[in-house]
Amino acid sequence: MRPPQERLNDRLEQIQLYGKQYRRLPGGFTSFAREDEQDPELESLVAVAQRLRTLPQIQVAPDFAAQLERRVLRRAAELRLQRSARKRGFLPALRLRPALAGTLGFCLLFLVLSTGLLAFASQVSNPANPLYALRRLEQHVQVSLAGDQAAQATLDLQFARDSLNTLASLADSAHAAAYGQALADLDQHLQDAASSIDALPAGTQRAQLTGELKNLQLDAIHILRGLLPRLTLSERLATTAQLARLGDTIPQVFSGIVTLPPHPNGHATVALSGSNLQPGAQLLVDGKLTGVTGAFQNGLLVFALTNWNGARHPHSLGVLNPDGTAAQTTAITIHMDNGNSNGSSNSTNKNGNGNGNGGNSNGNKPTVTPTPHH
Amino acid sequence: MEAIGPFLDRARQGDGEALSALYQQFLPGIFGYVAMRVPDRATAEDLTSEVFLQMVAGIHNLKANDAAGFTAWLLRIARVAVAGYYRKRTQQPALLPLPGESWEEMQIEQQGILQDHLVGDPAFTLEAREDWLAVVQAINLLTEEQRQVLVARLILGYDLATTARVIGKKTNAVKALQFRALKSLQRLLDESQAQKKKREEIR
Repeated sequence: MRPPQERLNDRLEQIQLYGKQYRRLPGGFTSFAREDEQDPELESLVAVAQRLRTLPQIQVAPDFAAQLERRVLRRAAELRLQRSARKRGFLPALRLRPALAGTLGFCLLFLVLSTGLLAFASQVSNPANPLYALRRLEQHVQVSLAGDQAAQATLDLQFARDSLNTLASLADSAHAAAYGQALADLDQHLQDAASSIDALPAGTQRAQLTGELKNLQLDAIHILRGLLPRLTLSERLATTAQLARLGDTIPQVFSGIVTLPPHPNGHATVALSGSNLQPGAQLLVDGKLTGVTGAFQNGLLVFALTNWNGARHPHSLGVLNPDGTAAQTTAITIHMDNGNSNGSSNSTNKNGNGNGNGGNSNGNKPTVTPTPHH
Repeated sequence: MEAIGPFLDRARQGDGEALSALYQQFLPGIFGYVAMRVPDRATAEDLTSEVFLQMVAGIHNLKANDAAGFTAWLLRIARVAVAGYYRKRTQQPALLPLPGESWEEMQIEQQGILQDHLVGDPAFTLEAREDWLAVVQAINLLTEEQRQVLVARLILGYDLATTARVIGKKTNAVKALQFRALKSLQRLLDESQAQKKKREEIR
C-alpha cells in the first residue's frame, strides 16, 4: 500500500479534477477513488481540506475586491507619474543631445580632475614641487575670498606658519633654491598679515592678531637661527637678512678697507666697519670663507691675510659671525701699502645696513663699484 | 496554469491592465492566507490591501518571471504584514509556540487576543465566532511552509510542481507537508471541539 501522503494527494487531485469535470459534464463523477473512500482517516483529512477551501471567512467579498482593485490601479498610476516625472528630468535630455552629454561629461571630468589636483596641491609644501605654484595660487584665492581684513590676516598667519614649518625640511645644500623660495614666501605672508592687521581698527581683534603675529615672528627667529648651521653661505646671508626683517639683532658690515701688500703674495690686511660684528668672526671674500678670524682694532674688525694675490681686487667683503649669521658689503676701499689708496663711493645694502666706505683719500680711481648686500 | 510572465513584464512597466490581471488572479490566495491568520474580516481586508499596495510599489524591482516566484514573493509580503499586525498588538509574535509554554496556556492566551478583536463584531454569532477562532488558532500553529502549501494547493489550486517551486522544496516534500498540515489541523480542530463540548457540559 502506498504511503498516506501519496494517497491523500491523489485524492485531493481527484477531487480538484472531479470538480472541474463536474462543471463540464454534470453527473459524470461517481467513479473516483472508491478505494480511498473506504479509508475513513484519509477521508477525514479530505474533509478538513474541503472545509478549509470553502470557509466563508476566506472568500473575498466582491465589493472589497473591486474597491481594492481601484486603489491598486490608482496607486500604480501615481507611481507611474512619479517615475516618469523623474525620468523626464535630466537624463533623457542628455540622451537626446549627445553633444550636450559629451560637453557635460567633459566638464564633469574636468571638475573632478581639477578638484583632485587642487586637493593634492594643497598638501604640497615643497617649493621644488611643480604643484607648489598651484598651491600659492590657491592660497592667494583663499585670501582674496576671505570676508574681511581679520580673516585675511588669519589666513596669512596660517600660511606663514606653514612656510616656516617647511623651511626645516629644506635646510640643506640640496634644496637651496626651494629654501630661498620658502623663505621669500614666509616674508611675503608675514608682510601681508602685518598689512591686514594694520588696516584693522583698534580693538580686541587687532590686539589678538598683533599678538599672534608677534609670536609667529619670535618663533620664526628661533627656528631660523636654529637652521643657520645647516645652511650654505648664500642661504645664511638670505636668512640673516630675514632675521633682520623679523627684528632680530644681526651683523651689519658698512664698509671694508683692503690694504694690499707692496709685493705679490705678501701680507694684506682687511678692516671692516659695521655693527654687531663678533670677535672670532671669519672673513668672507667674494662670498667665500677665508678661514681667517678677525680681531678688533680701533672699532674695526681687522683680518691679516698671508699670501694675498696682489692682482686680486675683491668684489665683496663680509663676515660670518660665530652665531652663524653673515653679512657682506661691496663698499670697498683698496689701499696700497706704499701709501696710495683707491676709494669707492658709499652705498647702502639691500636691507639698509651695509654702507660702503666712501673714503677716497688721494683721488686714485676706485677699484670696486659697490653693490650693497649682506 | 496560465503563464503570467508577459503580465509580469507589463506590470513592471506600470501597465494597469496587467496589474489588474495579476491582482485578480492572486487576490483569493493572498486574502485566504491572511484571512486564515487573523480573527476578523476587516483586519484581513486591511492587511490584504497593504500587501497589494506593496506589490504595486515593488513590482518594478521584482526578478521573478513565473507564478511560483510571484506567489512566493506575495506570500512573503503577506507573512510580514501579518507578523507586523500581531507585533503591534502584543509586542511579541503572537500565536507562536514559546519555549516551555503548554498548549493549553497558549490557547488561553490566544483566545484572549482573538476575543479582543472580535468584540463589537456583530456579524459573528457566538457559535460561529468560536468555530472561526478555532480555525485561526489551528492555522497559526502550523509552520509557515505548511500554511503556504495549503494556500497554494487548496486555495490557489496549484499543482505539486508549482507549489514545490513556491516553497522551494521537492514535490515529495510538498506531499508530506500537505499531509502533516491537514493532520495537524484535524487534530487541533478536534481538540478545540472537545474543549468546546467540555465547556458546554460545565455550563
